Amino acid sequence: MNRHIRKVAILGSGVMGSRIACHFANIGCKVVLLDIVPRELNEAEQKKGVSADSKAHRNRIVNDALQFALKSNPSPIYRKSFASRIQTGNFEDDMELIADCDWVMEVVIERLDIKQQVFENVEKHRKEGTLITSNTSGIPIHMMLEGRSEDFQKHFCGTHFFNPPRYLQLLEIIPTPKTDPAIVDFLMDYGQRMLGKKTVLCKDTPAFIANRVGVYAIMSLFHAVQEMGMTVEEVDKLTGPVMGRPKSATFRTCDVVGLDTLVHVANGLKENCPDDEEKDLFELPEYISKMVENNWLGSKSGQGFYKKVKDENGKSNILVLDLESLDYREKQKVKFPTLEMTKPIEDLKQRTKMLFMGMDKAGEFYRKVFGGLFAYVANRIPEISDDLYKVDDALKAGFGWELGPFETWDLIGISKGIELAEKEGKTIPSWITDMKDAGISSFYKFENGQQFYYDIESKGYKIVPGSEDRVSLEALREGNTLWKNDDTTIVDLGDGILNLEFHTKMNTIGGGVIQGINKALDLAEASHKGLVISNNGQNFSAGANVGMIFMMAVEQDFDELNFAVKTFQDTMMRVRYSNIPVVVAPHNMALGGGCELALHADKVVAHTELYMGLVEFGVGLIPGGGGTKEFAKRLSDELHSGDIKINRMRDRFLTIGQAKVSTSAYEAFDLGYLREGTDEVIVSRELHLTRAKQACLELADKGYVSPKREKNVTVMGQEGLGIVYVGANSMLSGNYMSEHDRVISEKLGFVLCGGDLSENTVVSEQYLLDLERKAFLELCSERKTLERLESIIKTGRVLRN
Amino acid sequence: MNRAYIVTGYRTAVGKANKGGFRFYRPDDLAADVVKHIMNEIPQLDKERVDDVIVGNATPEAEQGLNVGRMISLMGLDTVKVPGMTVNRYCSSGLETIAIATAKIEAGMADCILAGGVESMSTMAMGGWRIVPNPKVGKENPNWYWGMGLTAEAVANEYGVSREDQDAFAVKSHEKAIAAINSGRFKDDIVPIEVKHIFLDENEKRQEKTYTVDTDEGPRASTTEGLARLRPVFAANGSVTAGNSSQTSDGAAFCLVMSEKMVKELGLEPIARLASYSVVGVEPRIMGIGPVDAIPKALKAAGRNMNDINLFELNEAFASQSLAVIRKAELNPDIVNVNGGAISLGHPLGCTGAKLTVQIMNELKKRNEKYGVVTMCVGTGQGAAGVIEMI
Repeated sequence: MNRHIRKVAILGSGVMGSRIACHFANIGCKVVLLDIVPRELNEAEQKKGVSADSKAHRNRIVNDALQFALKSNPSPIYRKSFASRIQTGNFEDDMELIADCDWVMEVVIERLDIKQQVFENVEKHRKEGTLITSNTSGIPIHMMLEGRSEDFQKHFCGTHFFNPPRYLQLLEIIPTPKTDPAIVDFLMDYGQRMLGKKTVLCKDTPAFIANRVGVYAIMSLFHAVQEMGMTVEEVDKLTGPVMGRPKSATFRTCDVVGLDTLVHVANGLKENCPDDEEKDLFELPEYISKMVENNWLGSKSGQGFYKKVKDENGKSNILVLDLESLDYREKQKVKFPTLEMTKPIEDLKQRTKMLFMGMDKAGEFYRKVFGGLFAYVANRIPEISDDLYKVDDALKAGFGWELGPFETWDLIGISKGIELAEKEGKTIPSWITDMKDAGISSFYKFENGQQFYYDIESKGYKIVPGSEDRVSLEALREGNTLWKNDDTTIVDLGDGILNLEFHTKMNTIGGGVIQGINKALDLAEASHKGLVISNNGQNFSAGANVGMIFMMAVEQDFDELNFAVKTFQDTMMRVRYSNIPVVVAPHNMALGGGCELALHADKVVAHTELYMGLVEFGVGLIPGGGGTKEFAKRLSDELHSGDIKINRMRDRFLTIGQAKVSTSAYEAFDLGYLREGTDEVIVSRELHLTRAKQACLELADKGYVSPKREKNVTVMGQEGLGIVYVGANSMLSGNYMSEHDRVISEKLGFVLCGGDLSENTVVSEQYLLDLERKAFLELCSERKTLERLESIIKTGRVLRN
Repeated sequence: MNRAYIVTGYRTAVGKANKGGFRFYRPDDLAADVVKHIMNEIPQLDKERVDDVIVGNATPEAEQGLNVGRMISLMGLDTVKVPGMTVNRYCSSGLETIAIATAKIEAGMADCILAGGVESMSTMAMGGWRIVPNPKVGKENPNWYWGMGLTAEAVANEYGVSREDQDAFAVKSHEKAIAAINSGRFKDDIVPIEVKHIFLDENEKRQEKTYTVDTDEGPRASTTEGLARLRPVFAANGSVTAGNSSQTSDGAAFCLVMSEKMVKELGLEPIARLASYSVVGVEPRIMGIGPVDAIPKALKAAGRNMNDINLFELNEAFASQSLAVIRKAELNPDIVNVNGGAISLGHPLGCTGAKLTVQIMNELKKRNEKYGVVTMCVGTGQGAAGVIEMI
């Protein structure tokens, strides 16, 4: 059966429900969001004279919840207008709305009796054959089947999202024994392809996979910290980005999630997992109990492991909890020789290996903590999953770890991992020792561009299900790398398509990347069909390497700088005018030069999480790699005869002038960074490269002819300059910008208008590039621009001077 | 000399731009409705004896373009014989047209002119749809093109008008306007206008709704605490907010100006005359201060002094400039804008001069007083003032 999801009902509009509703709206579904009717009129309603039987009152809870979600930051919605896809209502008046829904999801309070009531009500209205799922995180899924019809049971499944559902990748799928396997297959696929999630098939065990292991990891840290006498800031330093985990690391994450929530899950595990060999760890250490007692739950109660305070000058400061005395104190600088040693290592895997070897307390910490974690996950198989890759997938997608436990284990080798576990007094299950005895040395391996995992049952390697047709850089890198330099690698994706990836710090673009782009174009033009530019970094690219620009500018090496900028521009123009199609596939940050690269692609295949912008203004510059030129060109292209040009010019001007960054790929269209009808958006990051390759192949196969360099940009010239000067002066006079901002604005406007030519002159792109480069170099000789560059390099902050 | 008299004058209620009752109504229709109302009131006047229709408008483009004055003449009078023209001196346009009519009649060039103004800010972008400053001026004298809000900030700074004073002034304006509306003070001014809204209901079925707009929509109960919460909109750390600035509005107003000879011939009773009208130039950067020079110039031309004046209608473009003018020109606040001003009642740019003339005539009549001054600041550094003498 070909199942289509056009309309979804979300029952319950709490933090999760309202945000899940937004995410379905994000992908184009119509959504019915329902919640309970308030018990009585509140003060505001009484004052307004709202009647108790009005919709305004009866839908108050759901409407307030949705509005709260829509206003939250980061936003749960890709584009504000998408919110109109959500219709709100209440359980008493609007249950019949679920009759034409293809999927009903329960997200009400975590009480079995209430959930059962909801399901009973759902059964009265739902159409047979439609999906019905629960987003519970703590209640066993099979317990919800009681009293339900056969059709209900067949179409019922657990679907566990993580908060915030738009941003966290994990979706756990938990079938019951009664669930139709076709439904499970559908959800696994739909979750990935349509909702953009990493779907992980789970067993119906307490807290499923991610929370079971994740909460173990946190609880074991709570205890380890005490044993080793470590501080909050030390642990957060050691368990953050240095080991491929989120910046909020351990304790800051607890503050964000809320200690009460964490304790709730831990208590649940303690109760429901009597056979867990580590159940003692789910017992709260004394300082945690004290904190809960004091209501130091984290952000929601104003203080937790950290506390934000204001000093007498109103300057805010973040204090940290001393776990011994339970007093808040100033944060101390964390220093470990191991961290110093690993600082220069960009590659996470290489770095992680080094961390384990540290001879200091940090090394000891890693060995201790991971010794425990390795044993714990090994012993959870087959209890929570038959397959080890699911544990890694769940932790990576649910907690933002870059490496799963088994992947980390692979880095130091199976034997070494066993050694660490045993040193902690942990027992390693036989399937691991059997592996070791059989001479199998890793949990994963890459072969022929595919990733394989060790299958415990068959005692051999199997391909990760669902990954057969997926193009994975990680898997292809071994064996298919055609060329590499320090900053880039060119990988053959097969079918005549090459991929160029960057691997510099923050994926910034410097000489090495420019060389890589040109080399990739050379190779593709000589013997391939097309080129994709994408990478697996945290961000696609944070922009040009401003350090390099700063150095040349400070040394007043303007010939050199001119050459560098010209080379950048020429390379962007090669991307546009090469003989082969170039597809750029950005994700997360694509700023400055990274954005300019995308602007020159034949096609952009953007991940929905795209934070794209020409942000050069912040460092006292204008886009100099063809970005300003491209905006002038797009302005010329987008105008129709009779349009009011000056207003469209203003929009383009402000996008650069205010350094606007999209909060999603859809917003990137609205800001004019992406092109309707040419560029496209994909929700699944996992399938991102697969689609980019396919798109590139499509362009090639339908007969790609490179665009011709023409003199075809109509610029406004003097028609536009007046408003540039007046606008800049008004902003300065209104104290909205500094004198230097005015200088930059005027230069930006000058380039966008094509200089002071008479109205409506037709110019070439090269003319605009030369104008853009001249303005860029002039700004590089301004002291205040140098100060801005220095600030961003040294502190990462945008200086307003 | 052939004296010119205002024999009658009417205005529409002032609608809130973009959300008020006139948001679906075109400015030419709105103005033509007022013209028709005036003509109906004086049946003895043969419409073909009207010499001209002069329409003030501050943004004469789009719906207000194509010489909307001529269009209003055709639509309002239903004859091709009467010409029409459009006049733009921004916010004094509606008074300027009455001055032109008076001058023409008194010079013997005409006997009967319909003069007034119209502005639909619902249909128009502020400043017009296509703003193209001269780049040379933009570079050398950018403040000549400044937005009015920025000039209001400059006036506040230069004349030391505090945020608190501006907000208090705004609250007062609303209080006076509400009191005036509640006591029916504007009843004699206003031509009720019927507006048709054509829309689709929830089943996408075409529906028509007709409603009448006969009450000014701008005034609201406001408090200084409420206004104090608003953020400045024209300058960071500024003091001018949406609450202490005039409102954007839709409206039309016209007066019938007639020679003494014709007044007698038709047996009409004139209400008032425009005794003088003066315009001055000031620094564009502080255009709000314009009335300070314009008022004495107009008084002198009318042979009057400040003590003769019973009422002032000072257009409240911004509280900052209104207060600066009141203080600098030493106006008696008790006789300025006794029924509220543009902050509460709205400011339909090109209509305002004629609208204030209609208002001041009716108020002087009710009070049985003789002299009033209509005055306003005007964009790009100008001030205008007219002395109204009741007959």
